Amino acid sequence: MQTRTGDIGSFVFERGNRGSLRRVLAVLVIVAALLLYVGGKVKIVQLGYQIEALEKEKRDLERENRALRIEAASLSSPARIEEIALKRLGMVRIAKENLIVVKQQPKAAQRAK
Amino acid sequence: MDRRGRILLIVALIALGFALVAGRLVYLQVIDRADLAARAERQQQRVVKLESKRGTIFDRQERELAVSLEVESVYGVPSDMENPRQMAQQLSRILREDPKTLERRLRSDKHFVWISRKVEPGRAAKVKDLGSKDVGFRFESRRFYPKKALAGPVLGFTGMDNEGLEGLERTYDKELRGVNGWVLAEKDAVGRTVFPGGPGFQYRLPKSGNDIILTIDEVIQHIADRELERAVTTARAKGGVCIVMDPGTGELLALAVAAAHGRPAFNPNEPQQYRSGEWRNRGVTDVFEPGSIFKVVLAAAALEEKVVHPLEKIDCSAGSIKVADRVISDAHRSGVLTFTDVIADSSNVGTIKVALRLGKERFARYITAFGFGQKTGVDIPGEIPGLLKDRRLWSGVSIGSIAIGQEIGVTPIQMAAAYGVLANGGMLMKPYLVSRIVEQDGGLGKKFAPQPVGRAISKETCAKVSKMLQRVVATGTGKQAKPAGYSAAGKTGTAQKIDTLTGSYSKKEYVSSFVGFVPALSPKLVILVMVDTPEGDIYGGTVAAPVFRAVAEQSLAYLQVAPDDAGGGMLLVNR
Repeated sequence: MQTRTGDIGSFVFERGNRGSLRRVLAVLVIVAALLLYVGGKVKIVQLGYQIEALEKEKRDLERENRALRIEAASLSSPARIEEIALKRLGMVRIAKENLIVVKQQPKAAQRAK
Repeated sequence: MDRRGRILLIVALIALGFALVAGRLVYLQVIDRADLAARAERQQQRVVKLESKRGTIFDRQERELAVSLEVESVYGVPSDMENPRQMAQQLSRILREDPKTLERRLRSDKHFVWISRKVEPGRAAKVKDLGSKDVGFRFESRRFYPKKALAGPVLGFTGMDNEGLEGLERTYDKELRGVNGWVLAEKDAVGRTVFPGGPGFQYRLPKSGNDIILTIDEVIQHIADRELERAVTTARAKGGVCIVMDPGTGELLALAVAAAHGRPAFNPNEPQQYRSGEWRNRGVTDVFEPGSIFKVVLAAAALEEKVVHPLEKIDCSAGSIKVADRVISDAHRSGVLTFTDVIADSSNVGTIKVALRLGKERFARYITAFGFGQKTGVDIPGEIPGLLKDRRLWSGVSIGSIAIGQEIGVTPIQMAAAYGVLANGGMLMKPYLVSRIVEQDGGLGKKFAPQPVGRAISKETCAKVSKMLQRVVATGTGKQAKPAGYSAAGKTGTAQKIDTLTGSYSKKEYVSSFVGFVPALSPKLVILVMVDTPEGDIYGGTVAAPVFRAVAEQSLAYLQVAPDDAGGGMLLVNR
């Protein structure tokens, strides 16, 4: 490095230069720390918005799911199924005279045969 | 002033300025700190309520009977509203609210009024289409009963704030409701909610309400509802009750309550459409004089005490009997009957003769042992113990009257439980509707086991009474109760109601009933049918017994109980 005042002057100048460098570095560190801090805060806020949006989506989907479950339960009510069977499909209850009760033969009687 | 003086003055002014700013900062940051911090908190933070989910009610096969769903409620901001009349008219058309009431609400000086709560999703969408900035929406939980009127008086219903008001919703409100939570969130400049997260994030998670599994089976409940309603409609009756119970455990598989003829069955989705009297569960809240169905209590007590034998002959030929100062007659004059036939033909004279032998001390003891005069403890609110006079207050005629089911008031659930004693071999079981409570957070929950109340009579006596009741169905007054393919035991009842004007027994109003169990040889179900004030045909054997048969046939087939009595139509096969 070139100097204007020789060795002694050069020594003084270099000391002053190092001091400036330290100050600049200190400022840079502080700025970097502040940027990191603010950046972190911004990120947290952004994530907060994302969480809120996802929470809302989750709530909406859960609500839709529950509504569909209620609809399914409603559509499977015995009264509705019976009405469809009797009126739309023309099914009828079994008449008493058409009902034949079949009883299983006792095992002892089967063996005797 | 020289140059140096001017510099000093400027420096002094700048220093003063800094001092003022510093002083203000000290004031704001130190002296006024608490107040300002509180104001900032109020502006920036909001407590978001996290509503707990009300538990679901399932039937015994875990099919949903009562479910909660979030729907939108509509609110208004009257203080900002420019034309309340126009808005009220638009909203009233969509929400079907009275326009004048709405306008009155919207003209108030409040910042928040409810316009309509828990509206259907379609209507909420139409309100949104209006695009008004003075109308807002908030989600609230609403209770739905997807099976509509099925088991309505058993389930009950909830109020606007989801509190249980009737039925099981009320009894188990604490279990179903859960605990609301909250989270301390922050608001940004445009009012959006931001969840801050990180350390210091304050919240309490909501605890969902517990689910409840009932003993009710929705298919058997539907069968009971349908058959009972049909009988009430045919008889133009004032209502009816049908109970289906497992006699071995006391589990109630169905508890149907029919509204008066011409009135719709109670639908808990819209309780405000019904009279308050139609909300109640008549199976546990109403008493009736049982009439002849009560004779089995006398029969069981007399056989247990060995004061009579089933085949002992009793002279009923007089057709009437004088007890104290009252003459009690038979509906049809009979001759000499065995005690079995006394019950099968429902002879008042024969029953009273045996009651007089038994004596009031012993008879009263058995009435209590069968559970009358005390609540059964079933889980539905509003249960009453019935009307049973203290034995010391019985008049001379009381023993005769009570033996034939008069001078005593019972609830249908008591009567079903009493027949359960005969079906299960002598043990009085507590009837119940909830089999399990399931915790949402993985907790253990609760399981309800059958609860024996006490032994009423011996197994041997039960067998004797059962045979007598089979005779009622085979050849007696209950022939129409016989289910195809199954043996059955039961008793008919046709009880006169008290005429409230004269205070004596009415000649026009009756309660027709039939109670019994199937299959008689190995009972799986106790079925009670009670029809209140039928018109025309009034007999239990023709009004209530056919309902018993229909419910028994369909329920046993659904439960896959093998037929045990098919008469001549039975085929024998190898398997």
